[in-house]
Amino acid sequence: MATLPAVLGEPIRFVLNWGRRYSLWVFNFGLACCAIEFIATSMGRHDFIRLGVIPFAHGPRQADLMVVSGTVTDKMAPAIRRLYDQMPEPKYVISFGACSNCGGPYWDSYSVTKGVDQIVPVDVYVPGCPPRPEALLHGILRLQEQITAEQSGLGGVSRPDPARFDPAALSAPLVPAPTAGG
Amino acid sequence: MTPEEVGARLGGLVAGAEPSRSGGEEFARATVDVPPPAWPPALRAARDDPELAMDFFDWLTAVDEQADGFRVVAHLWSTRARHGVLIRTLLPPEAPAVGSVVDLYPGAAWHERETYEMFGVSFTGHPDLAPLLLPPEFEGHPLRKDFVLASRVAKPWPGAKEPGESHAGGGRRQPIRPPGVPAPGEWGPAPPAPPEGE
Repeated sequence: MATLPAVLGEPIRFVLNWGRRYSLWVFNFGLACCAIEFIATSMGRHDFIRLGVIPFAHGPRQADLMVVSGTVTDKMAPAIRRLYDQMPEPKYVISFGACSNCGGPYWDSYSVTKGVDQIVPVDVYVPGCPPRPEALLHGILRLQEQITAEQSGLGGVSRPDPARFDPAALSAPLVPAPTAGG
Repeated sequence: MTPEEVGARLGGLVAGAEPSRSGGEEFARATVDVPPPAWPPALRAARDDPELAMDFFDWLTAVDEQADGFRVVAHLWSTRARHGVLIRTLLPPEAPAVGSVVDLYPGAAWHERETYEMFGVSFTGHPDLAPLLLPPEFEGHPLRKDFVLASRVAKPWPGAKEPGESHAGGGRRQPIRPPGVPAPGEWGPAPPAPPEGE
């Protein structure tokens, strides 16, 4: 993608990043208890609309930000991947809560994916079980700082292409049983 | 009817039944153990008897008793008489199978599907014993006690205590391991062999 000439680039980059970070439409992937905290953060006391984050986008195709809040099960994982793929670039992911960060309190379960970053690339992790609404506001501010520092050009934002994310690279061969006397 | 009366009445209706009383003080239920061939007749007797009148099917599940087999438990409730009963049967550990009660209580269909996928207990006469909750490529029956939790093999429990461990002597004695957590080195890829001449 082409970069603009330096004399024009910096102000335009600043303006484009400013516009992108202060109008984030959220596709809320609310799966469990963290979804309630997300809703609490969108309500009157800890309003995140004042940060420019607009909740309840009409669908993944009209969203910029996906907040995965709650436990990700192995049965739900393909749906998360598919809906993430349906979001147009530039898109960002916040992993909200311990379950979507790393499996959380259900890390030893047979049915839980240990972290949504096994499926989609995550920009900001918000720890907690559940995180306070102030923690989500902090996470959104961190994401906005990241967007401020982005290098964008005529071709779009320079970020690793998630379309080339290969889930087959994550799968490992079956573990063989230990041999006697090994 | 008190739990003892419910248990006695159902025990009289089903051959080979052993009534008892569950825990729970004033909320105790009559508990009736029946042999596996008498499973559907026992539920039918509980439902159709005018005194018992167990018209509400609450839940059905299984308990892995390891060497003894699988115990299938159902909780029935009477909405008119406000009493309940726990009916149990013990199945052999290899190829556990029992009759389905879907023709008695249609609501049991999903309960039996979940018990089948979690424990491997098959229900003969069930119209469609497909998995209910697990992803389609899942292998094994997760709620059996010999199903290994692979995450606990890869990473030991980061907390200090298992339930049942006392606060003193945590490291000296053999730690208590819950079902599904094998001893270190017992399951998984073998560690690399020590080099020659060690």
